[in-house]
Amino acid sequence: MTNTIKESKKSIVTARIVDHYEVARNHFLMSLKVPSYFQAAVPGQFVMMRVKGREDPFLPRPFSINFLNSHNTGTIMGILYKVIGKGTTIFSRLKKDDELSVMGPLGNGFNMPPDRKKIALVAGGVGVAPLSFLAEYLKRQTNASAQGIEEIVCFLGASTSQLLLDRGRLADACSKLMISTDDGSDGYHGTVTELFQNHIDSYTDNDSIVFCCGPDPMMTGVAGIVKKYSIPCQVSMEERMACGVGACLGCAVRVKSHGDRPRYMTVCKDGPVFDSKDIIWKQA
Amino acid sequence: MKSKNVPGMNVDIGGIELKNPVMTASGTFGYGEEYNPYIDINRLGAFIVKGLSREPRSGSPPPRIIETAAGMLNAVGLQNIGVDAFIKEKLPYLSGFDVAVITNIFGETIDDYIRVAERLNGVPGIAGLEVNISCPNVKKGGIAFGDDPETAYEVTRKVKNVTDLPIIVKLTPNVTDITRIARVVEEAGADAVSLINTLKGMAVNVETMKPYLNNITGGLSGPAIKPVALRMVWEVTREVSIPVIGIGGIMNAHDALEFLIVGATAIQIGTANFINPRATMDVLEGIQHYMVENGISDIHDLIGTLTVE
Ligand SMILES: Cc1cc2nc3c(=O)[nH]c(=O)nc-3n(C[C@H](O)[C@H](O)[C@H](O)COP(=O)(O)OP(=O)(O)OC[C@H]3O[C@@H](n4cnc5c(N)ncnc54)[C@H](O)[C@@H]3O)c2cc1C
Ligand SMILES: Cc1cc2nc3c(=O)[nH]c(=O)nc-3n(C[C@H](O)[C@H](O)[C@H](O)COP(=O)(O)O)c2cc1C
Ligand code: FES
Repeated sequence: MTNTIKESKKSIVTARIVDHYEVARNHFLMSLKVPSYFQAAVPGQFVMMRVKGREDPFLPRPFSINFLNSHNTGTIMGILYKVIGKGTTIFSRLKKDDELSVMGPLGNGFNMPPDRKKIALVAGGVGVAPLSFLAEYLKRQTNASAQGIEEIVCFLGASTSQLLLDRGRLADACSKLMISTDDGSDGYHGTVTELFQNHIDSYTDNDSIVFCCGPDPMMTGVAGIVKKYSIPCQVSMEERMACGVGACLGCAVRVKSHGDRPRYMTVCKDGPVFDSKDIIWKQA
Repeated sequence: MKSKNVPGMNVDIGGIELKNPVMTASGTFGYGEEYNPYIDINRLGAFIVKGLSREPRSGSPPPRIIETAAGMLNAVGLQNIGVDAFIKEKLPYLSGFDVAVITNIFGETIDDYIRVAERLNGVPGIAGLEVNISCPNVKKGGIAFGDDPETAYEVTRKVKNVTDLPIIVKLTPNVTDITRIARVVEEAGADAVSLINTLKGMAVNVETMKPYLNNITGGLSGPAIKPVALRMVWEVTREVSIPVIGIGGIMNAHDALEFLIVGATAIQIGTANFINPRATMDVLEGIQHYMVENGISDIHDLIGTLTVE
């Protein structure tokens, strides 16, 4: 009987909204009061959320943690999200003091190898959500331990200037913020993948690392670039989820395998952060 | 351990002694580690593991799941680590709990089933086999084993012959008359039946005109299927004398009680775990509470009490 030792069990928590507003068209920032153990969460981890007491939508929805702040009044978790369907539309109508059921923190976050001096963050659209958290986290670590981090450059792309999310936070946390917009309304006129490619000469395989999150075509593009230059890169993947803990095998992502048999890993438990060279990227 | 206030919850499923009738449904609870942080696995009546095959299976390409009204469709494609890896890597962990471990098995041919059953026979720490006959039989053009009475009989009989463990045959609802299949597997030696597995369904994205699931069709589970499951359990309990395990859309104790009242000896909880990882515990406590409130001291005084005017 090795497993009978009583340990305190995790549970789904009720989290109250303390602040909620539209930061840009169709994009919202929700701040939730969460238990203090959330402070242990690392950038790249996520939570599963449902509106408390509501049976529809049926399944909880996954969201990256965008920030965690601790005050003497408690711990506040930020969720930065885009309205794309039924669940996010319902979330967007919630008001201060409404309650959500939150499960987490879940999954594995970004992992900063100690020997890397140059960090590139490549963010597309709402994919910036975990990366602003990461930028602030790394900056704090750099200050505290005088780790060898020399620079953090963020490449932030969106369709148009209004949708460049978390701009201020990233400008504060990073050594440099590079902007791209698809419509040319700000920064480089084009995709963030192209912008990153244009600066690839600043990075080398022995002192750099890339952290990336955004839409599929963008991550596929970035994965292709870093592969050519052998620069390590971690990506935060997305798949539809049900359980969030590795039990249903619903959130499969195809990874490289040795034999002929395809091999899948779960985004929720094995990820959501993966080494970009482990993923089998769909052809863009 | 039984005190005046704690109702008797023990049930016997064809020789498998359970401390209560609440089990996890195959494929929805992993191999134990996933939900151990959330619940006390020792309190479960039984733990049914993800379906095991002879060889490891990769499963289907994504997308594998999509939410539907009051439920979800899944096409995981029976991904699993295979029976050998289960015994080596997962069973020792599960054996550390004081819970009946029931291994769910499946195959593409009858021979596959026999091999998996043989491999599990005599392995310490396993209380029984649940035989999933909802999957396609490759030798019969993909018709499910459980869709054809003769094949259902044969697979049950042959598995029974190679194992000393009690066998529960898990039935598919995608048939014209589920009672017929239930009767046939009872005759073939099944010690119990469990039902229902998922209902075959599909969903289409009208913007892309593509199916939501890579596999096109998938299995429907969750509250959407509960009325169908309940009706089928009720019908089957009237036709067989072996224990019946009710499965399908059980979200809370109320749902579980409905299954017990129509005659299920035990119940399994699947999709509800995804929404509430404590669903099994909540159901267990809810059943106990109901029994105390209604002065029912033994679960057997509740099972099959449906009153028809
Ligand atoms: C680990 C993880 C972290 C995430 N973090 C964030 C975040 O910080 N901010 C944010 O805005 N979003 C995030 N997402 C995506 C978010 O979960 C989805 O946008 C949300 O679930 C959509 O819910 P909905 O009910 O509004 O959409 P639905 O009505 O369910 O779907 C609308 C459309 O989007 C598609 N879709 C829905 N979910 C996904 C998905 N996960 N992958 C691919 N297609 C999908 C559907 O097929 C459908 O066509 C994250 C996803 C994952 C897996
Ligand atoms: C993601 C998922 C995976 C499943 N995998 C299996 C399996 O491997 N073997 C099996 O017999 N049933 C499997 N099932 C079916 C369930 O065990 C159960 O019969 C069905 O989901 C109905 O119950 P529910 O509505 O409570 O989920 C699976 C169901 C789901 C949702
Ligand atoms: S969501 Fe269930 S395994 Fe990832």
